[in-house]
Amino acid sequence: MASTRRTSQRVTLLMLVLASVTVLTLDYRGEVSHGITHVRNAARDVLAPLQRGIAAALHPIGDLFAGAARYGSVQAQNQQLQTSIGDLRRKMSEYAAEQQQLRQIAALDKVPFVSNITMIDAEVLSAPTSNFRDTLELDRGTSSGVAVGEPVVGSNGLVGTVTSAGSSTATVQLITDTRSSVDIRLDADASGFGVVTGRGQGELLNLQLVSGSPYVKETVYTAGTVAAGAGAYPAGLPVGTVSSVHSSPGGFSNTATVTPLANLDSLQYVGVLLWLPSP
Amino acid sequence: MSGLSWARLAIVVIVGVVVQVAVLDQLVVLGAHPDLMVLLAAAAGLAGGPQSGAMVGFTTGLVADLFVDTPYGLSSLTFVLVGFAVGLLRSIPAGREVGSAQVAACIVAGAAGTLLYAVLGALAGQSGMLGHGTANAVLVVTIGSIVLAPIALACLRWVFSRGRSRAGYAVPSGGSATA
Repeated sequence: MASTRRTSQRVTLLMLVLASVTVLTLDYRGEVSHGITHVRNAARDVLAPLQRGIAAALHPIGDLFAGAARYGSVQAQNQQLQTSIGDLRRKMSEYAAEQQQLRQIAALDKVPFVSNITMIDAEVLSAPTSNFRDTLELDRGTSSGVAVGEPVVGSNGLVGTVTSAGSSTATVQLITDTRSSVDIRLDADASGFGVVTGRGQGELLNLQLVSGSPYVKETVYTAGTVAAGAGAYPAGLPVGTVSSVHSSPGGFSNTATVTPLANLDSLQYVGVLLWLPSP
Repeated sequence: MSGLSWARLAIVVIVGVVVQVAVLDQLVVLGAHPDLMVLLAAAAGLAGGPQSGAMVGFTTGLVADLFVDTPYGLSSLTFVLVGFAVGLLRSIPAGREVGSAQVAACIVAGAAGTLLYAVLGALAGQSGMLGHGTANAVLVVTIGSIVLAPIALACLRWVFSRGRSRAGYAVPSGGSATA
């Protein structure tokens, strides 16, 4: 009796493991993967309104948790801020939360670096939806013109690229995601080109230079070259500023770390550029 | 398998995924957030045994996978193994502190499940699954589980409470043993 039960347990386990592996394998195949993407987008569309409501209510609480975890660095930063921009902070606190949101949208409206590309504003629905991927959910989808591959910007610089789009939601892969790579050029050095790759949520970006040598605090911009695979961006979007440079003694290539210009930790509104690389 | 109410399971999984996506995903600390879904699988193992744990883990995983960008089926695979493994613990006789032992098992299973997920993801060819972000994820999931594990256990006991006496043995109840 006990042994038959044990056998049936093992059969169940084996069946379910095989079923999972089958699903997993199918997701790597083009057509089925397409279907799964459809189902995923539909499910996200269904939850979007709920997410929106609860996210609005929870933003302050999430900020509180994030603040508690980074207490040390926040404290140090706070001291700097108090000396340098104390006056500004007092003014800021007078504004209500809604006015701040409004300002974010207004800032997006006149983003200087995307003057000739149509841009639509989108609200960020949720923080990263997986512990192992650096993505955001937006409240705009294909019904607003969002399509896979379109670049996403904040008011300061590049945020990422759309990796899937439902009718009313879209998923954005941030430039800090380990799968992200962006071709860039250096600000001052006209012949300086490189590739910026993500190292995970909250980490600085990695810059591998193909040519040229960067200096600290130099801004890097998208190069506009269309790389094979994901991650094509129009030229001239600011990506980040160089925070440290490491040159190898052999001198074959330089690497550097880059701080993203867009404040990726606390994005509430972003702009989706209706721009796709010409095939 | 007796005592498992699929209707109740559906309610728990749907409410669970809504809470996960709309609430828990927002509570990002050290770049990671608590995970309720893996706890549902672990709690199912404790409440229903290895076989039920694996089945509930599979179902929960398929739903959870709809809302993440890792390959579809990765959560199912992880949760099947978690639900089954935790279910095996149920047969180990516990003393009077059964409740807290189960909560502790759930918390450990949450941490182990998160690690397993990263390892399986890496084996499935996904980049960036294993790194110091993994340690943060395990840490945050573990801390979150301290709060979430008792809730998950209560929910899954409710799912498995049909036609069962308090001692956890199947009792035929008025011809409505199947659901």
